[in-house]
Amino acid sequence: MATTGTSAAHAQKSPGRLSVNSIMGSEGRYWLLIAPAVLLMLGFYFYPLARVLWMSFTFPSPGLGNYEDLIDNASVHRTLITTARIGVITTGLTLLFAYLISYVLVHAKPKVERIMFLGVLIPLWISALVRGFSWFILLRREGTINDVLISTGIIDTPLDLIWNELGVVIGMVHYMLPLGVLPIYANMRNIDTRCVAAARGLGASRGVAFRKVFLPLSMPGVIGAGILVFIYSLGFYVTPALLGGGKTLMIAEYIQLQIMDLVNWGRGAMLATTLLVTILLLLGVMSRIIDLRGLFGGK
Amino acid sequence: MTQSFEEDCADLIGTEEKKGMSRRDLLKFAASIGIPMALVPGMTRKALAADGQEVVLCNWGGVALEVFEKAFAEPYAAQGGKMVIDGSGPGTGKILNMVMANNVTWDIVDSGIVGLTQLGPQGALEEIDYSIVDKSKVIPEFAYDYGVVNYMFSSVLAWDSEKVEGTPTLADFFDVEKYPGRRLLRKDAQAMLELTLLADGVAIEDLYPLDVERALAKLATIKDDLLFWGSGSESQSLLREGECVMGMIWNTRANVLGKETDGRIKYTFEGGLLQPGLWAVPKGNPAGKQTAMEAIASMQAPEGQVMVLEAMGNGPANPAASDLVPEELAASNPASAENVAVQARISADWYAEYYADAMQEYLDFITS
Repeated sequence: MATTGTSAAHAQKSPGRLSVNSIMGSEGRYWLLIAPAVLLMLGFYFYPLARVLWMSFTFPSPGLGNYEDLIDNASVHRTLITTARIGVITTGLTLLFAYLISYVLVHAKPKVERIMFLGVLIPLWISALVRGFSWFILLRREGTINDVLISTGIIDTPLDLIWNELGVVIGMVHYMLPLGVLPIYANMRNIDTRCVAAARGLGASRGVAFRKVFLPLSMPGVIGAGILVFIYSLGFYVTPALLGGGKTLMIAEYIQLQIMDLVNWGRGAMLATTLLVTILLLLGVMSRIIDLRGLFGGK
Repeated sequence: MTQSFEEDCADLIGTEEKKGMSRRDLLKFAASIGIPMALVPGMTRKALAADGQEVVLCNWGGVALEVFEKAFAEPYAAQGGKMVIDGSGPGTGKILNMVMANNVTWDIVDSGIVGLTQLGPQGALEEIDYSIVDKSKVIPEFAYDYGVVNYMFSSVLAWDSEKVEGTPTLADFFDVEKYPGRRLLRKDAQAMLELTLLADGVAIEDLYPLDVERALAKLATIKDDLLFWGSGSESQSLLREGECVMGMIWNTRANVLGKETDGRIKYTFEGGLLQPGLWAVPKGNPAGKQTAMEAIASMQAPEGQVMVLEAMGNGPANPAASDLVPEELAASNPASAENVAVQARISADWYAEYYADAMQEYLDFITS
């Protein structure tokens, strides 16, 4: 880094002066600048968080008792499996739709692109609660979609589009779409379209040019979007609670029930810890495969 | 997202204008990011309460804030006391947290059977002093060691009269051939197990101890037709919008549904479960046990309780209040003698012993 070099040089020039640099090293002043934020996070975020997580080892009795649930408790298993299944399905569908939308976006005329982009972003600013209720209006038995399908004679009996995993997945994919589109779109923007043109010029068909040139170039965006969406899905609370009809219990709601209703803090904290560790592991593995700093705007 | 009855009272009618961030929001926010309660402005009340013997009563906010102010705080002030109503919601987990952190800021909380039976055995509640609180002013079985009834509510059978003809019984709830359509239950074992067992032919007097396996087996017979509500407003909208033809819901919501659908949604107290809302005192409350008990005693006056019935539909705890209840409200009063006679009554002893396990089993049943 060029800046490090200059500041080091500066410190050498005035050895007698007690500067921030000489006390804290060349990067010290940067640490100083972010110190308030770091201290705030340590005091008000990491410390309370650690205390809650620590409870998983101490409440109701010290030891690893709570973690035994991970091995032999059927209801914990079911919740984890439901959470993972919905997370995977949601991520898969979101990536598919997000890819299609992004592809159309980058190939649209600027004016159209702007309008379409607004369509992607606006749902991002509407709360999950409001969206949940909107889906209720559309998907219920006497709702818009079933009414239209029945009155046009396509179906006789209303479809069960809500109060099951289907409803949860619909609601979640809708919620996650902007989170999927943004990284993929940003990545596609940077793909040099001349590469595709060159492939076509060298005789590749449209399909081959896409498969062998465009798709591989767009993969970093897809993987990044996948991680983002999957991690968000794991901790999702409002949408499953609203659209699952009480039958779809994901880990976030399960934790809430354990802590607030059953006062089983140990199990709640254990699951929270498990969730956090799983996400950190996922990020750890992924950071070996792709450049996470770039993905989250660190570069 | 299971919401307690006490919590639901707050948003039943309450869509009051909020200006900026309310104290409740602030507390929620603080709790969500883990700020110790003592650091939140307004939490210095602990000192205040101790000095001026001010009693802090915590309920679930919303419309209940105003109603409790008029029904309880004003009469208490007239007797020379000082009562502050705090609407930040005394969740069971929150109370336990305060007691364990030795930082109790509430003197009296609006809790229920689950709060009582989960917190009492953990030593988080003060014992009710029945030399100060008058046991003769409540139905005696709802006067517990660690809590005393403050109002009553019921879990009742409600139905959509356009899709269900006549007056269905609890047994009809499980007869999907007679009355096809989806049924609504609460996402909580409380009262659902009782109503299921009554439907299965268990007599009211033999209800407890609950046969959880039998109840779940009965529920399994209509599992595909079941939906579950988490909050009172959810139960209301699912019945109103015709998503379900019958439901087991709170009487307060059933009553409002009847009004807003011009009688399309009907309900009956027959075979319902009468449940108490409870005053409880967290251990180490700031104003001292004695003061808290005196405040509870003052709230036993029937006049205030009738105000709560008029505004929120919660039945008065004091049997003497029924003489003061206006005629048009008598039918919807869960605690009126006629309505009490046809209902089962919840047993706190059973909940103390088995609720946590039963709830977990019920959850496992509905999610598997």
